[in-house]
This record gives sequence, C-alpha cells and structure tokens, in this order.
Amino acid sequence: MNAKTGKIKAAMLGAALTLGAAPQAMAEGMGYQTVSDLLHLVMNSDRTVYTRMIVNRLANEEGVIKASEHFIDDKALVLPAQMFRFGAEMVAEETDAFSYSLLSLWPINKQNAPATPLEEEGLTFVAENPGENFYGEEELGGTTYFTAVYADVAVAAACTSCHNDHKDSPRTDFEGGDVMGGVVIRIPIDG
Amino acid sequence: MTRNRFLWILWALATVLIAGSALARLYIAGDRTVLLPGQTAGAHHQLEIACETCHTSAPFASAAKLRKDINKTCVTCHKEDLKAADDSHPLKKFTNPRMAAYWEKIDGRFCISCHAEHQPETTLPMMLTLQGDYCIACHSEGQQDIRKDRESHAELTFDTCAGSGCHNYHDNRALYEDFLVKHAGQPWLAETPVHPVEALARTRPAPDPAAIEAYLAGVSAADAARSETAAHDWAASAHAGADVGCAGCHAAGAETDAQIAAAWTDTPAETVCATCHKGEAKTFALGRHGTRRHPEIAEPRSAKSALKKLGWKKPPEALVSALDAYLTDPAPPAAMSVAEGRVPLKPEAHGETLTCSTCHAPHRQDLGFAAVGACVSCHDDDHSRAYEGSPHHLLWQAELAGDLPPGSGVTCATCHMPKTKSAKAITTNHNQNDTLRPNEKMIRPVCAECHGLGFAIDALADPALIANNFSGQPDRHVESIDWAVNRVEPPEQGTNQ
Repeated sequence: MNAKTGKIKAAMLGAALTLGAAPQAMAEGMGYQTVSDLLHLVMNSDRTVYTRMIVNRLANEEGVIKASEHFIDDKALVLPAQMFRFGAEMVAEETDAFSYSLLSLWPINKQNAPATPLEEEGLTFVAENPGENFYGEEELGGTTYFTAVYADVAVAAACTSCHNDHKDSPRTDFEGGDVMGGVVIRIPIDG
Repeated sequence: MTRNRFLWILWALATVLIAGSALARLYIAGDRTVLLPGQTAGAHHQLEIACETCHTSAPFASAAKLRKDINKTCVTCHKEDLKAADDSHPLKKFTNPRMAAYWEKIDGRFCISCHAEHQPETTLPMMLTLQGDYCIACHSEGQQDIRKDRESHAELTFDTCAGSGCHNYHDNRALYEDFLVKHAGQPWLAETPVHPVEALARTRPAPDPAAIEAYLAGVSAADAARSETAAHDWAASAHAGADVGCAGCHAAGAETDAQIAAAWTDTPAETVCATCHKGEAKTFALGRHGTRRHPEIAEPRSAKSALKKLGWKKPPEALVSALDAYLTDPAPPAAMSVAEGRVPLKPEAHGETLTCSTCHAPHRQDLGFAAVGACVSCHDDDHSRAYEGSPHHLLWQAELAGDLPPGSGVTCATCHMPKTKSAKAITTNHNQNDTLRPNEKMIRPVCAECHGLGFAIDALADPALIANNFSGQPDRHVESIDWAVNRVEPPEQGTNQ
C-alpha cells in the first residue's frame, strides 16, 4: 500500500503542477496509465519550456550563450537532454516509486539506446505511430513494472541542429516535429 | 567435595568469567579490533577502532538494507570527492530498473560491488576488489561494445582501460575526449611555469625588523610564557599581521589581563587553530593524515547505554564506572601517530603524532617546512626520498633564493595539498586524496598549471618517473590524445564524456 500511496502522491504533485490540482487527478485508485500520463505531462512541459525559452532563445536565436554538454568547463547552459536526465537522477535518489529515462533508437550516447526488449518495442512503436503512446509490462531484476513510452518530438531548432551535427549521432536527418526518441516511465506493480 | 569436583567447578567458573570479560570488552564498550575479519584498505585502518563508523545497520538487518547503509557510510566521507570528480559512473545512474541486466554483471548501485572491504589479499590499488579488466562487464556487448564503437579500440584488451592512463571509473575530468582534443598539441612546459595561486600565497613581503620591535613593545603576554624567539617568530607571521595576539590562541576568548592570566594554556588545542582555519581543518579531517578527526566517526560507546540495550534499564553507577574504567574505549581516538601509518615512514619519526603543530610550528610561519620539510621528515618512499635534487626541488630552491618568481618552485604541498583561491581567501587543501589516486586527479589543479596535458598524462602513467620524482622525461606514451584528435573532425564539436 505504501508504494501505491507514493504513486498517488506523485500523481497529485504532477496534477498540482500542471493542471492546477484538477479534481480528477485527486481520485483514489488511479490507474498506472493515468499516473504515468500525468507524470509525463509535467516532464514534457518543463523540458519544452527549458528548450524553447532558455536554450533555443539564448543559444540559437540570440546567441548570447552557448549550450554545451561540458557546461561547467565551457561555462554554458545545460543541454535540454541533460536537464531532463539530471532531474531523473534526482528523482531516483529520492524514490523508487517510479523512474524515468530519455532514450532513443538513435542515441548520441550509446548508454541511452534501448536496453530491454520492451524499450526497443516501445521506442519503435512511438516512432512509427506519431501521436500515440506505448504501454506494457516487463519484469526487471525480479520486479514487474508498468512501462510507458512517450514519443519525444523535436520541439525547437536546437534539438535537430545539435543531433544532426553531432559526430556521435547515428542519424543526421532530423527535422522539426520528428520523433527523435522517447521518454520511458516505469512504475513497479504491486504484489 | 572431592578435589576433582572442585577443580571442575573452578574451571567452569573461570571459563565463564574469562569469556564474560572478553565478551564485555567486545560488546559493551571496548576495543573490537579483534573482531576484524581482515585488515581494511588505505586510510580506512584509522577507522578500524570504531566498527560503528561504517557498520550502521541494526543487528540482523537484511542484506539489501546492509548494502544501502554501507553506501551511505561511504558517501559520508567520499561525497565531496565524487561530486568534484563529476563521477562518470554515479550510483544514481544504476538505480533505474532498465539497468537490471547490468546488476547481474557488476552491481553499480553499491560501492561494495567494486570496493569490498576487509579483503587485503584481493585488494588492488584504488581499493579495487574486482579484476582490473572489470570494464568488460558492461562495455563489451551490443551497443556498448567499445571495440566496435571506436576503431582505435578494436584490438585493445579490457585490462588496459583503467590502468593505462586513459580512463578512470569515477574521475575523468582530465581524460574525456573533448578535453583531450582541446588541450592537444600543448608544449610539455609552459613558457612561464608558475602556479598562479601558489604565487599569490607566496608573495608576501618580509616584515621590517624595526616594525617587529615596535609591534612587540605593545603586546602583553603571561610573564611565564614570554619567549623572545617565540615573540619574534610570531611578530613576523601572518598571525601578527591579522592581529591574532598571544591570548588569541593561548587564552582564547579572554579579553582582560586577569582573564588572560586565568585562561592561559601553554599548549592550545587543535580546536583553537580550527576556529579560524576552518577550511584547512575540514579538509585535514577528510584527508589521510586526519581521518580520525572526521566528524562522522562513531562516538565512544558508553557502558551505560550498552547495558541498557542488553535489557538492564538502571545499571548501578558503580558498575558503569567500573566498566568504563576497565574498558577504555579508543573512540574517538587520538590523532593517528606516525607509528600507525601503513605507508613507508622513517623509523625515527615513529613517535610523532599528526596535529597542526606537527607541520606548522606554532609561532614561526615557515611554509617551507610545512610544504617540504615536515613531509620528508616522515615519508620514506622512493618518490619522497627522490624529491631532494629533483627538478621540482631545484625550482623551489631557486625561488627561495630569489632567482625565480613566487610560484615557480614545486613543493610536496604544491601537488599533494594544492592551494585554491575563492573570492574570500586562498585555502590550502589539506585533503591529499583530492589529487592522489587515481593520479590523473592531479592534472587539472596542479600539473596543467605548468605542463601540457599530453606530457602530464604520460608522466603520471610512468611509475619509474614518479618513483624518481619526475627527474627526466616520461618513458612511455599514452595515445589517448592522438586517438581523440584523429576521431574528432572538426574538433570544435561536442562529444560524450
């Protein structure tokens, strides 16, 4: 029950942040899919805001500062993907009630390629079916997880230019609006 | 009673008494080092006297809980190192369930997967208790197969990843590909090889003797403690410059002459130094010399609370006092003595303990002694013995003679206790670990101030050159910069760290 309470709390937090505490998000017994969808809504909104209003504006449009993977050494902005991953790592330090990752079939860092058959299936599905999410279950390390995969779409020129120009990128023909990868959210299933 | 019966009873009683005494000593408040399953590694031996420092779990905790608790213990002391290292393999990267397949190879969620303790027979440098080719576990298959991903690595064996000067598991600040490319082609030695922060710290005009005399005339100290040498040494020191007078240390907090006389101590404690030198005291406690000063070392176990845990709620004070007197718990321990050190140390230094005044004479500001003399008076390894007469030492002598500008000389402390400058002050990092192992940690804060990256990497990968204290040129070449430059086109692009 504790894990479930945690999920409900997470959902309430997500709802409060995004929807102004909409009544339906407060409902008891919320399904894994709803919780996951709400979490994704927060994640995706925050990163889109960071990508468009910080990185793309300051680095690409106004050119006042650059964004760099080596942001400390280069005294630069954190890349949107790093901002997202740092958040995921911080969450991982706080709770195991859910976890999330930003992955791709065409990752710059091989570490972010699919690592489980369900990740591969989900990432392929969202790439081939724009606008649709992927949901499934998988067992990892002796625990069964509800796993959701959401398409990660190029929301600004900064996304495509960086990936297309990067020497480690396995794909260099991304255009605005393309599915570049996916957000994978996992929630352990009770019992 | 027959003689035999009497002897049996006596034997039984004696056995119970001796066993009880031994158990009491182990359990209640005494020294538990006898329980050590094996010697610990590195500076951890300084913690051996207080098991609770590392073993914080409740008795009979689950294996999962034990591993998590040990993680917390490790991080208690090593958090800052790992943060500063921009850890390439932080634990938090492995907690995501998608890494489950890797957990079965090497479980990166737990420090002890690679650094098991109490296993001296299988402990390698860097406290590694895996085989040196451990990278093979995760970087040899599928998308992660580095031999396929990097042409230059196709023929390499996995025992060369971390032991060659190319990669480290945690700290790659001076080794990541873009950094290598950015610093490729640098000359081995800078045009004006000066450590800028050392230069700032060493640029201090010698005080004028007349000014010292005038200053001393206005100073009051306890008559019994007056010493012309001490006063002159002190008057020429930064303490006098900062208006820290005799009473500042010998009667801390006292203001009037009467208060000073009442509070006067001839031997101020280390805590007095730490009142002002907070950064130095903190880093000293994090380093190898001062591990026993670490604030997280377990408190002494009290006999009273141990008896309470055993179910004796109100133990008689007499018994508690007796136990306390009998079982003098060594925690918190005295400062580590040279005799307890587990690195090569000079026998004649074995009587020394490690406090502030071991290296810093209390009145005389002699950074030359603190930065070289104190070190070589104890350390007796090849590298330390070879310092005198080494190129770095000759530079230091030339600087002392006034032939070279401040910051030119390289002392033991320049590399092992580098100075850092913040907006407020210059601080000497007393935690040697920050630049010690793996030795590539030294490149950015130290070597790179005077040397090119390629030379620094090569030099630090040459054990013979380290042993002779860098008297000569590296005898080996690490190809990492060459490979990185060949791969990166154009070089200004980013890449993965």
